[in-house]
Amino acid sequence: MIPPSVIKEITRIVGEDNIFVSLEERMCYGYDGTPNAFVPDLVARPGSTEEIQAIVRLANKHLFPIVPRGAGTGLSGGSLPVENGVVLDLTRMNRILEIDEENLVAVVEPGVVTYAIQQEVERRGLFYPPDPASLKTSTIGGNVAECAGGPRAFKYGVTRDYVLGLEVVTPWGDLVKTGGKTVKSVTGYDLTRLYTGSEGTLGIITRIYLRLIPKPQSIRTMMAVFPRLEDATRTVTLIVRRGIIPATLELMDDRTIQCVENYLHLGLPVDAGAILIIEVDGAPELIEGQSGQIVDLCREGGAREVRVAASEQERDEIWAARRAVSAAVVQIKPTKISEDISVPRSQIPNMAGKLREIADRYGLNLVIFGHAGDGNLHPNILCDQSDQEEMERVEKAVGELFQAAVELGGTLSGEHGIGTMKAPYLKLETGESGYAVMLALKQALDPNNILNPGKIFRGEHDGKPCHNK
Amino acid sequence: MMESLATTSDFLKQCSRCGGCQAVCPLYAETLAEPYVARGKIFLIKNYLDGKIELSPKMKEIMSLCLLCKACVENCPNQVPVDRLVLAARREIARERGISFVKKNVFQHLLQNNGNLSLAARMGYLYQHSGVQSVVRKSGLLELISPDLAKKERLLPRVARRPFRSQAPKLITCSRPKIRVAYYTGCLTNYVYPGTGLAVLDVLGRNGAEVVIPDQWCCGIPALASGDEASAVALAGRNIETFQMAGVDAIITDCASCGSMLHDYADLIETSEARSFADKVMDFSRFLDDAIDFQPGDTEVPLAATYHDPCHLRRGQGVYTAPRKLIRAVPGLEFKEMNEADRCCGAAGSFNLTYYDLSTRIGKRKAEYIRKTGAGLVVTGCPSCIMQLDHVLRLEQSPVQVMHLAELLSMSYVNGK
Repeated sequence: MIPPSVIKEITRIVGEDNIFVSLEERMCYGYDGTPNAFVPDLVARPGSTEEIQAIVRLANKHLFPIVPRGAGTGLSGGSLPVENGVVLDLTRMNRILEIDEENLVAVVEPGVVTYAIQQEVERRGLFYPPDPASLKTSTIGGNVAECAGGPRAFKYGVTRDYVLGLEVVTPWGDLVKTGGKTVKSVTGYDLTRLYTGSEGTLGIITRIYLRLIPKPQSIRTMMAVFPRLEDATRTVTLIVRRGIIPATLELMDDRTIQCVENYLHLGLPVDAGAILIIEVDGAPELIEGQSGQIVDLCREGGAREVRVAASEQERDEIWAARRAVSAAVVQIKPTKISEDISVPRSQIPNMAGKLREIADRYGLNLVIFGHAGDGNLHPNILCDQSDQEEMERVEKAVGELFQAAVELGGTLSGEHGIGTMKAPYLKLETGESGYAVMLALKQALDPNNILNPGKIFRGEHDGKPCHNK
Repeated sequence: MMESLATTSDFLKQCSRCGGCQAVCPLYAETLAEPYVARGKIFLIKNYLDGKIELSPKMKEIMSLCLLCKACVENCPNQVPVDRLVLAARREIARERGISFVKKNVFQHLLQNNGNLSLAARMGYLYQHSGVQSVVRKSGLLELISPDLAKKERLLPRVARRPFRSQAPKLITCSRPKIRVAYYTGCLTNYVYPGTGLAVLDVLGRNGAEVVIPDQWCCGIPALASGDEASAVALAGRNIETFQMAGVDAIITDCASCGSMLHDYADLIETSEARSFADKVMDFSRFLDDAIDFQPGDTEVPLAATYHDPCHLRRGQGVYTAPRKLIRAVPGLEFKEMNEADRCCGAAGSFNLTYYDLSTRIGKRKAEYIRKTGAGLVVTGCPSCIMQLDHVLRLEQSPVQVMHLAELLSMSYVNGK
């Protein structure tokens, strides 16, 4: 526990209105989008970089953990206070400081909701492409810290591809500025990329310089129905080989389709093996030609039906199916273990087969959907948290599933991060030497293990525990 | 009987903690605080049922910090009925910890007895008109007691000289009636906005409806929202009885909150009488649009108007196209849709009295949306919203007028037809 005198000091820093001490309030900052929860000792809601620096300095003096948190929508446990300590709620720092139309840069604070940034820049004909499913709620700080992705990643890349510079409070309370408004920058190590995706373990992001691009003029959305999953994944390859990079290429397998149809009654083909939702964007002449080619390629790939949205309403109908997936699949069982392995695109058919084989062997319910264009699949295991025996089977299956992804040249996590959920498996991918480099970085930059302890390195060589534990 | 907290555990399981409720919760928008958003409340209720926390004063405060606006319910991917969970929690808290002495008196005595309620309203009227109010305000006495109390005193509506129901006849006939309806006036129309009541009678009569006004009591929503289910049940029983005797085809409400509550009688008291009562309840706008052939008058109303969706009308009763159609039917009027028209105005029953500052912040956001339309008039379908909108617009020194839909429609008949 944090001594009352320290709580008093933190209160003095952020003000009485910006501190939560009651058990009930603290509990509400101990969870995220995963099924796990902890209780922090204190919740502080700083309003400025200086306040954050002051709290971090206190943490080094009194040795308590600090867990930075945005909207708490993460799916890897990145913002969970697993070793208690102070949750630093950054949502009050939510100003868009500048939208520089000449240099195509937005300067924002970490607590701005990503969707708010998108709306603001799109009003000016500009575009910030990363679109994690949680974008209407999640904050840009969290997106950067976890390096969030989204459906548009295939064409446009992920959060890291849009971070030009950062201001970061270091684990001992100094302020570091990396990069800035320039597109090019090779001054020393690329600290911007180091902090992006560092999951709050190396620093607290207080300011972000985001790269913007011109907004695409128009969009065309298509839905193709395939009798077999393999046909759908093969079609993805056909499209890419033809030199077309769709903005999104979303896949839903048969069980996913059945759940969504049962949930929304949209008239989806419940006997289909897979659906692809394909979207191209750009100049109207360009997408006209591309969408025609895609329709032909889908047919060539074995699609039994291809629909092209003729209006905004038809586009909404197509997306309604994809958006409903998360809610719909819990019909099978209440607990959803959502993984986000990513494999090279060419390995998607192999990975899908492997996933099914593993799920069958452990007698588990598995659905597959996700971003087929970039190989980032979301195998979801539907189970019941209260069924101890089933959860043990899930645990084993997840281990095998990671193993399979890595063997196919893939990665444990495409866009959710390691957090606590995948920490035990990190070495599968990094190997001993890669793990050692990461741990060395953490120990060098945060010798007191103040920032977000218990994340990423939760395996047998944990980072040094915080002293007050 | 509404469900007990323990029987809500299946709903609690439905919450996947995605946090999507943050994007639509008016309280979250103002506070950015997780305990006040649906996800936080659901998590706390779950922990209470698991025996990890108690119904502490803090828990009571958190559960009371909900507008019951249902925005989260509408936008939840898993459709968790958050408002029902919060109400169940409030009932449990009221049972365990009791409700305040003042509230208990209001729900169990004052609201159950119309004579006493009218007397209280009369005293309110005298306070506001005898000069006492002006003396109290000038003296700064309330500021001395508490600045907050002084602000709240200004929120109190101007009580009407005579309650609407004591002015209106029990039966209002018209030439060639096509349908016979009962009018449930609600307390605010009765005691504060008798003009709304007169407009409702005017519009109904001109459109061929014969109206009866049976004896009636508070709908019970203030009691239920505070966790006092027994008082709500008692009030519901009385209303059902007198309206049943009226022998009508429909029961018309001019208040979104009352209407929503009257619909819920079927869940509150599971009898066939309650079901048949609830099935007849119809909002004023839906009745005009659905049940009869509404004809506006000829008088032009040369105004630009916007419309505010009361939570209990849009999400509570699914009524949102009818009022817009009716407004557009008024000759000479220009309709302008506002941004987030269905966002809560912050009134939420007595929420604006209990949490004045927070409620006003929510209201000011609404006032800003209204201002941006450039309309000179904001129309809505709930006296409680009218009170709040009027208050925040006055605070902003806005010239925009607030009006019930019935009053606007009635204006089109001013010169003759």
